This record gives sequence, structure tokens and C-alpha cells, in this order.
Amino acid sequence: MKAKPALPSLSLSTLFGAWLGLLGLTALGLVLARWSAGASGLPLAVAAVVWFKGWLVARHFIESNLAHPFIAWVLRIFIVCVPAALLITTWFGPQLARWTSL
Amino acid sequence: MTTAAIQAFPVDDGQPDRQPAGGRIPGNHGIWVGITCEFVEFLVLFTVYFVARAHNAEAFEAGPGRLSTLAGTAITLLMVTSSFFIACSVTTMRAGQQRQSLYWLIGGLVFALGYPLVKYLEFQWNLGHGIHGDSGIFFTVYYYLTLTHLVHGFWGILGLLWVLANHVNGSYTAESHPGLEALASYWHATDIIWLALFPLFYLLA
Repeated sequence: MKAKPALPSLSLSTLFGAWLGLLGLTALGLVLARWSAGASGLPLAVAAVVWFKGWLVARHFIESNLAHPFIAWVLRIFIVCVPAALLITTWFGPQLARWTSL
Repeated sequence: MTTAAIQAFPVDDGQPDRQPAGGRIPGNHGIWVGITCEFVEFLVLFTVYFVARAHNAEAFEAGPGRLSTLAGTAITLLMVTSSFFIACSVTTMRAGQQRQSLYWLIGGLVFALGYPLVKYLEFQWNLGHGIHGDSGIFFTVYYYLTLTHLVHGFWGILGLLWVLANHVNGSYTAESHPGLEALASYWHATDIIWLALFPLFYLLA
């Protein structure tokens, strides 16, 4: 049996929850930056926070789960790019610098 | 919710699915061409950031400590809150609550206007602390990306004013409000970009 796709929400509570989540993740980012400055795991934690915040906006404000596949993929790709690039630069910074030297 | 809204908009009412095949286009096709171009533009700019960071790791570790974390945090709160208000405006419009939708939109505009205001104060603060575009590679990239984002913020605010005028004129209904949803999509996309910029320039010391 074909599953019935979800439909746009008429509830503000989901949006409110996403907004609270964004505020909480912003606070978490500040705490991490304050207490883990220079720690080797900070970029990984920040990358996770950046991805999750982008996902919250895309999923709950833009409703990417209901959107045309092209739109959903554009959002997915953009949201993952910065966290991925941050990790690549953290772990392979010297190699990236070598590859991008003229 | 009005009867008209229930009949015209495909909400989850237990009836057979009336969602367009292939998924929804939030707003209209044109705005998604624009948003895709905006994302591509910022992917290029983020590439500049990461290549510069790879070549100048020390400058990028020291740079965030000299910027105003308060300003960056304030802009983040303004962006996510305006995005939330505008999303609420779309949702209440869907439900046929035009007046509430208008109030949410006005709230979204007020918070959105805080962004250029805080950015202006931040730049004044920067200048007062000797932080210019030529103060080092980190600050060159910082001004390059954040000023470009501010320009996109201005487009969004102009769009907000246009949509607000249409809303006041009663151009949007529960059945048809693509302009409102297009503006909301653009503002959310601009919000996503800021949420990536914020830690790169203000937190990652």
C-alpha cells in the first residue's frame, strides 16, 4: 500500500519547538567556544551544531520534507557543505593548502 | 480555520492526498532559482574562506577573539527569530488567519531590521578597535563574506516590505499566497547561510 505523504502543518507548536532548538544550539555553540577554545574536538562539535541548525530551519521552516526533490537536495547539499569543509580543513589543512597553492 | 482554507489548501484532513506529484514548490519556481544561485554564490565564498583558513591557520584561530561575539550572537538571534515569525506568518495564513499572519509578518520585519542595525554598530565597534578590511587575511575574508550576506539581507528586507504591502492590501488568501511563501523561503535560506557564517567568524578560535 502506498504511504500517504505528509502535508503542510497548520500548527505553530512545531515552529516554536524548532525556534527553541535554534536558540539552544546557539547557546551550546557559545558555551563550546568559551570552554573548549583550542580543543581538538571543537571543530567537530561546531560542525555538528552548524549542520543541525541548518537542518532545523530547512526541515521545519522551509518544510523540505514536503518539497520537490530538487529543492530538498539543494538544501541537503548546502547544509552539509560547510560542516564537511570545516572538518576537512581541520584534519587535512596542510594538504588542502598544498593542493590550493599556485 | 475557514472552510475555504480547508477546501483549497491540502492540509492533513484525513482525506485522500491532494499534494502535487513530485513534492511542493514552497513559493514559486523563480525564488528557488534565486535561492539556488544564492547558495552557489556562498559556496564559492565559503571555498575562499576554507582555502584561506588552510593557508593561514594561525590568523583564523586568532581572528574570532578580536571580533564582537555579542554582535554575532545578536545577529544570530535576530535572524532565527525573524525566520520563526515569518514561518508563523505563512502557517497562520494557511489556516485562514489573515490578521494573525499580518502581525507575525510585521514582527518578522521588525526583527529583520535589527540585523543591519546591529551590523552597523558592529562595524563601528570594529573601526574603533582598529579592525579594517586590510587588518589581515581573516578580517579581509570576514568583511568579504559578511558584507555580501548583509547585501542579501537587504534584498530580503526589501522583499519583506513588498510582501507586507501586498498583505495589507489583502492580496494573499489562505488559498493563494505564493509571494508570502517565496519571501519566507528566501529569508530562511539567508538565515541558513548566516548560521554557517556565525561560528566560522565568531566562535572557532
